Amino acid sequence: MAPGFLNPLALLFAALSIPILILYMLRLRRREVPVSSTLLWRRLLRDREANAPWQRLRSNLLLLLQLLILALLTLALARPFLPSRSVVSGSAVILLDGSASMQATDVSPSRFEAARRAARQIVAGLGAGEEGTVILAGPRPTVLASAVTDHAVLRRALDEAVPSTGPADWADAFALAAAALAGNPHAQAVVISDGALPPDLPALPGETRFVRVGERSDNLALVALAVREGAAGPQAFVRVTNSGDATAQTSVELWTDGALFDVRTLTIPAHGSAGLSVDDLPYTLQVLEARLSGSDPLPLDDTAWAVRSPAAARRVLLVTPGNLFLERAVGMLPGVELTRLAPGQPLPDTPYDLLVHDGPLTTTLPSGNLWLIGAYGAGPTTVFTATALARAASDDPLLRYVDWSNVHVLRAWEVEPPPGARVLVEAEGGPLLFVAERPEGRLAVLTFDLHDSDLPLQVAFPILVANLTGWLLPPGGVSETALHPGDPLSLQPQPEAVRLVVTAPDGSAYPLPVGQAAPTFVATERLGVYRVEQFASDGSLLRRDPFAVNLFDAAESDIAPRDVIHVGQAEVRPASPGREGRQETWPWLAAAALGVMGVEWWAFHRGMGRRGGTR
Amino acid sequence: MLDAALLNRIGRLRLVARHIRAGQMQGERRSTKRGTSVEFADYRDYARGDDLRRVDWNIYARLERPFVKLFEDEEDLAVHLLLDGSSSMDWGGDGEARGHGDTETRGSDDGEVRRKGSSKWEYARRMAAALGYIALASGDRLSVAMLQCPMPNAQCSMSTLKLRGKGQTLRLFDWLSGLQAAGTTDLNASLRAYALAGGRAGLVLLISDLFSPTGCTEGLTALAARGHETVVLHLLTPDEVDPPLSGDLRLVDVETGEPQDVTVDGGVRALYRRRLEAWQDELRAICRTRNARYLPVTTDAPLDRLVLHDLRRSGVVRG
Repeated sequence: MAPGFLNPLALLFAALSIPILILYMLRLRRREVPVSSTLLWRRLLRDREANAPWQRLRSNLLLLLQLLILALLTLALARPFLPSRSVVSGSAVILLDGSASMQATDVSPSRFEAARRAARQIVAGLGAGEEGTVILAGPRPTVLASAVTDHAVLRRALDEAVPSTGPADWADAFALAAAALAGNPHAQAVVISDGALPPDLPALPGETRFVRVGERSDNLALVALAVREGAAGPQAFVRVTNSGDATAQTSVELWTDGALFDVRTLTIPAHGSAGLSVDDLPYTLQVLEARLSGSDPLPLDDTAWAVRSPAAARRVLLVTPGNLFLERAVGMLPGVELTRLAPGQPLPDTPYDLLVHDGPLTTTLPSGNLWLIGAYGAGPTTVFTATALARAASDDPLLRYVDWSNVHVLRAWEVEPPPGARVLVEAEGGPLLFVAERPEGRLAVLTFDLHDSDLPLQVAFPILVANLTGWLLPPGGVSETALHPGDPLSLQPQPEAVRLVVTAPDGSAYPLPVGQAAPTFVATERLGVYRVEQFASDGSLLRRDPFAVNLFDAAESDIAPRDVIHVGQAEVRPASPGREGRQETWPWLAAAALGVMGVEWWAFHRGMGRRGGTR
Repeated sequence: MLDAALLNRIGRLRLVARHIRAGQMQGERRSTKRGTSVEFADYRDYARGDDLRRVDWNIYARLERPFVKLFEDEEDLAVHLLLDGSSSMDWGGDGEARGHGDTETRGSDDGEVRRKGSSKWEYARRMAAALGYIALASGDRLSVAMLQCPMPNAQCSMSTLKLRGKGQTLRLFDWLSGLQAAGTTDLNASLRAYALAGGRAGLVLLISDLFSPTGCTEGLTALAARGHETVVLHLLTPDEVDPPLSGDLRLVDVETGEPQDVTVDGGVRALYRRRLEAWQDELRAICRTRNARYLPVTTDAPLDRLVLHDLRRSGVVRG
């Protein structure tokens, strides 16, 4: 493609030079001034012209400059372009990878900046009337600019994009891209990424192009850090992965509440992982921080935090006619003080943190956290026996490590889950296990009697009990102490708290409303230790609960750039910029026009100054 | 035309010609004639035919020989007062070139400061009146002429006035106030014509701005050849010395009507002043070789100061 003009009609503006010339001539129609004699003037001009033949030219300098400005502006308006190389021709839907791995610095200054540059080039290559859409694929994909032809808007959208600290939700991003492509069938989708895309992405209409960023794959990452109560004090577990092609050695620093506690050397095989455990951590440990020494392309995953919540004894009230499995399972939990009551006995006056009710309900439900097992109220209840497993929310944290597939249930009561309830296990006849957040406390319901199932005999039972009681007995003010970036955290303020403030790792404070039951904190984008502080009405600090946000994502930490991505059935390989694009040059012309304007202004005022200077 | 106080002060002055002494004669010699004035000059022996009234009887009584007292003869001086009557003389002053007042656009865009001073023509006539009065008052023969001779080689008909005696003062003033500057004047032709027209060789006082396209060299040469002693009173207005102009202008010559395009800025104005000085130097040199004196005069100089101080210092008047 040869250089040309996108808007050649604008060259007609060159006709404006005619009025300029006319105006100039009009301006030069000199003012007539009578003088007594022109004798001296005539002699003077003879001398002057003999001395300086360029004087005549100088008087026309302003005209020449003005014509030059007009020429430059006219050319700029005509939008000349030079042929350039771009990966797309025509409208483009740009999918910009905003996942954590894009913060890797193996390409300077970072993969995300390189991706932004590539996106800018694509934008610059868009011709007149060709639309650009920018989708930032982060944990929550967003459309930064939708079907915009204005390059400035697209550039601004790209400038505002920031990479996230979490994994990208590519399925959502592709759904947004598909919607954008549906609006413009001639557009092409461009994925600018390091290639860490899931393999099961849906196909997009039209051809999808892939611009790969990233060069290196060697990255050491902390993918796990946990603190557990051991016999001799808290224990720490650390797991480090190596996504590089060579065995790597690193030292892991462990900092307890800001003080260096231990440094361990760890050798991690290529594409493998290694772990270590540290015993004898101080009893007073609250926040444990692990750091990998040395530098690698992705610093995000070189630091991790774990928060220890020293378990105060939790009072659990178990109301049961007698259930050995349950008693054992609950009583075994660490930090739990179990009180057993027979049904019908009056509830004790001492407060308790959790009421586990086994069997039919005889009283109205008390407030507070409740776990109802095989409970049915006074009203008419029906029993269903279609208890074959229909669905188990195995990705729910409450069912973590709980294998429900071998659980058999004889019969269960039909219980309608309250609105907003999370059904964890559903049989064909109805829900078997659901949990709900109520204003007065958390609620978990097993709709069958434990004696009617083989659940207590399964390995899953103690795990389920531990998970459920762990959820029902939230540690302090926060429901969880280890989150991934972007995870929402529901807070449980004490009843007397009137003010709730979450302080992020960077020091910014987020006040939260306390009126509702469980305020949710969502600004967990930053990695690090957050602190939730509850204040009483007199301003005193009721309690302070830390929680940690870590990347802990082996997929994101594996920064190796991929050679191919799978979109639908197609394998897409990185595109080389071989397509024809057009690089517009009008900004340079406009800048030149501005410069010439400055010169013209200077020349004009210089002339004025010289005239007035001898006054 | 001139106020009484000024007339009183200049009435005692007399015009001085450095070389011309005798009335009709052109001479390099010292005054030859002994006359009848009261100024004593010398004694000489009585000769036959001498007027007995001139014999100094006191000497005769003492020496017993007759001696005749000799007195200076009072020669009159032919004074020619030539006034340039071209329209370029009708310029400047508060009146702003009467006759062009309507089209006057001299005020420049940045607000011109008007210069004080009378019109060049007015000033020239007053100067002529003053010098003419001095001549009449000292008994010289005065010829006044206004030079208006448009074509270089045409026969010039110029209005002249010949006067003698203090009693003619009013006539001179009336005649001067009736004059009107108009048209073009070729100075060379006018001066040559005046020189050829004859008249006693004497002191020529030329009042002009010398804005003549062909210059005035030949005219001055002709005057010198005729034996005249010339004083060139080069009269300019302050506007002409330092023109208050700026911008892109078309200058129109009020005398010839010829336009001249010029873009005036500070540099051009400085150049103009240098050019004017060079021109005046050139004129001074021309005058020096033609038995003439050159005196630049600007109209912002007070007339009494000009006559009583400047002209006296340069030796044009004495007394």
